[in-house]
Amino acid sequence: MTQLRFVRRLAVFFYGACLLTKLAIADEPFRPEPGEFPPLDKAHSYRGELVFVDHANRRGSIRIDGAGRFRFAGPSPFAMLPYGMIRYRGAPADLRDIPLGTVLHVKAFLPPDPLISSVPVLPLNNRLKKLGYAGTGVAPAENHVFLLEDDLSHSLRHQLIWELNEIDIRNFSGTLTATRKPESEQDKGAVVETATFSFDAATRIWRGRELLEVADLIGEDMWPVSGKREIDGQQVHLGLAWKPTPGGVFKRFHIVDIWLDRAALDRSTRRQKENHKDFIRSRWMPARVDTVEYGKFGTAKVTVTLFGGMDESLYADFKQGSGGMLAASENTLKHWASGTAGTAQMAGKGTLTEVRSAAENIPMGSSGIQVTLETDLVTEGFRPGRIVRIRPDTWPLVEVPREEYLHDAQTTHEDRFPTPDIFPSFQR
Amino acid sequence: MTYLKSGCWFTASWIGLLLLASHASADDEPFRPEVGKFPPLKNAHAYRGELIFVDHANRRGSIRVAGTGKFYRNDPQPFAMLPYGVIRYHGAPAELRDIPLGTVMHVRAFLPPDPKLSTVPVLPVDNKDKDVGHYRGTGTAPAENHVLLFEDEPSHCLRERKVWKLQQVEIEGNVGKIIARREPRDGGEAEEPTEELTFDAATRIWRGRERIHVADLISEEAWPEAGKKQLEGQAVLLGITWKPASGDGLSGAFTQFHISDIWLDDEAIQQAAEFQKETHKSFVRSRWMPAWIDAVEYGKFGRATVTATLFGGMDASLYSDFREGIGAQMNGAENTLKHAAGHYGPGHMASDGKLLDVTRASGDVPLGSSGIQIRFETDLIIEGIRTGRVVRVRPEGWPKMQIPREEYLFNNSPEDRFPKPDIFPEY
Repeated sequence: MTQLRFVRRLAVFFYGACLLTKLAIADEPFRPEPGEFPPLDKAHSYRGELVFVDHANRRGSIRIDGAGRFRFAGPSPFAMLPYGMIRYRGAPADLRDIPLGTVLHVKAFLPPDPLISSVPVLPLNNRLKKLGYAGTGVAPAENHVFLLEDDLSHSLRHQLIWELNEIDIRNFSGTLTATRKPESEQDKGAVVETATFSFDAATRIWRGRELLEVADLIGEDMWPVSGKREIDGQQVHLGLAWKPTPGGVFKRFHIVDIWLDRAALDRSTRRQKENHKDFIRSRWMPARVDTVEYGKFGTAKVTVTLFGGMDESLYADFKQGSGGMLAASENTLKHWASGTAGTAQMAGKGTLTEVRSAAENIPMGSSGIQVTLETDLVTEGFRPGRIVRIRPDTWPLVEVPREEYLHDAQTTHEDRFPTPDIFPSFQR
Repeated sequence: MTYLKSGCWFTASWIGLLLLASHASADDEPFRPEVGKFPPLKNAHAYRGELIFVDHANRRGSIRVAGTGKFYRNDPQPFAMLPYGVIRYHGAPAELRDIPLGTVMHVRAFLPPDPKLSTVPVLPVDNKDKDVGHYRGTGTAPAENHVLLFEDEPSHCLRERKVWKLQQVEIEGNVGKIIARREPRDGGEAEEPTEELTFDAATRIWRGRERIHVADLISEEAWPEAGKKQLEGQAVLLGITWKPASGDGLSGAFTQFHISDIWLDDEAIQQAAEFQKETHKSFVRSRWMPAWIDAVEYGKFGRATVTATLFGGMDASLYSDFREGIGAQMNGAENTLKHAAGHYGPGHMASDGKLLDVTRASGDVPLGSSGIQIRFETDLIIEGIRTGRVVRVRPEGWPKMQIPREEYLFNNSPEDRFPKPDIFPEY
């Protein structure tokens, strides 16, 4: 009997230990492997305010919400992974598109190669540390970003919506209490998050084609001139930022945009999508080299995987049999050029001999589209695992600005692999 | 006779030289502002370019300056806002953080007032006259990188009472070009050349309180679906950015700006200005009004009466919050306008007191100054409130808020007080 009890206890202990191990694996810092797209579920998640942007090197700083006094959190540097995706207003974006102050949701990993990290490399357990009044997790070592999205994009990706519950207003400013819920009918009752936000006379309210002010909603008697009013779960989408908060509030996000209906939202999304499409057409599609088959006299077949997260119409421009250009790039997605000779002059030219789309199991970061370009002049930089930029010949031929290319005769290691020196160290 | 001729030539050359010299000193000579004086706008060097990089916490950034060559080749040029430098966006006061990267800005700038403390590289005084080579042309790297006035296109047009008159649109697939010219709003001779600007499906068009797209104008038959249409000088305001223009560096447009926004009427631009004005009012109330110290009269046991001039360029309603007899706080700041606060925050570290006087200058007020002088009496004067130094002032009606970590100094090390230019890459 005693022996049986012991075996049972051992089994329970083992089961418990297994569960804990599984849990620990989910929480363990994860370092992406070169040549692989890391699984999203291994990413460390956090959110914070965009404070600084160095868009030419795809990096910046974010003030991370550590459940403490938000304003004490020093901006934490981050770098986009080369295949890292940015979304703003529900559409693909570049760092330059996102206004400073915007609250962003982040999914990030440890630096794939700490030696060439363009942002400070921090102790692995940093996300567990409490940094004074700023709170816990405000400076995680996971600062290489896989997915960076504003609150609106985050809501759309998870099919969530904000329901407004109560407004408290005075002099066109005040607070709104809201509940984030699933949009689908079946999960409608579930509450994901309840929060109180500030708003003010600069908050933009979008309705169809219209841009309204707080004063307009008061004029239409939707909101009171002064005092509190229940709003009964009006469904909206919100754009969030952060501003210093009066009084003893440690952290309160601020509403910069309210989308009252789908038509308004679609207009904002469309504008950002068009903006980014134009950007990618001029800077070319980023990709990673899978294989290179060398031929004779400089010919080669280069197979690359196009990075994900772009508008579908851009991928549709890669057609088998059409012409294309392939240019060496870096982890920052910078082009290579040569002063008077621009990116197009330096690129390998050829034909897209194959365009294959994976049917399933496409990891985030990848488009699932593999393209083979046959060129008669392979250039340095087209090597398995390296980052390239590729252009189908229907895209316009333009020259990228000076800070977005590396000069082949002048570029140093510091230009190829920017050091983290530009980031100030804030004493805590 | 020969002697006389020679005398005449000598006199003529001298007069010529004097004329040239006086012309040069008025308009072209580099001008270095003096501490404690607002420099005259007419002595500023004027240029325009694309905003590339912003370090808003230190009020500096980089701009690609339009010169005479291929715009895309121009290295971003670091600039620093003077402490009293004025920023305007969408026709309203702004901060660097409010301006999207890529926006084309009009700049009025001077040499660094004190090169030793410059937060951006100090360049040779005659740099604006140099052709920097590689097809970049002249004037792309001026030494005048300390900015008095930094304004986007609609702000520039509103200040100079100008509009863009659209002459022709050429379009295909929601993308195309507009030929337009900046002209006086109230009529009169246009002095500026016609420009060809690009637009695309992401261009925002503002009409009253509507935001519409190029596709909407096509469906309303205001613009054709494809081809050219004369626009008969339709007066609008434009938001201008830069995108690479078609061409491979050997051919194509060397400098062609891009239209990000078109405001079709006054109501639309007034609404844009209103949003920006409210954004900035809220910003200044939380960060306090910048000013510099004109005089300090010390009393006994830490008491002092401080005279300060509030900096200009803010919304008028902010200045009207400074009233005689009300309570106020004054805190030390730097040329970057950062608070000297420490973790306790400005509200805790500042001198508390009362506004004894608020006087308004009656004559011409130089840009950078509000023309408003306050006399502030405190019973505990703090370090930093000294003649010529920059401070921040809060009238008691403004909310007491804590500012974020990057906007205040802690331990006041010289490197934090006077940021070095080494964050800017060399191209």
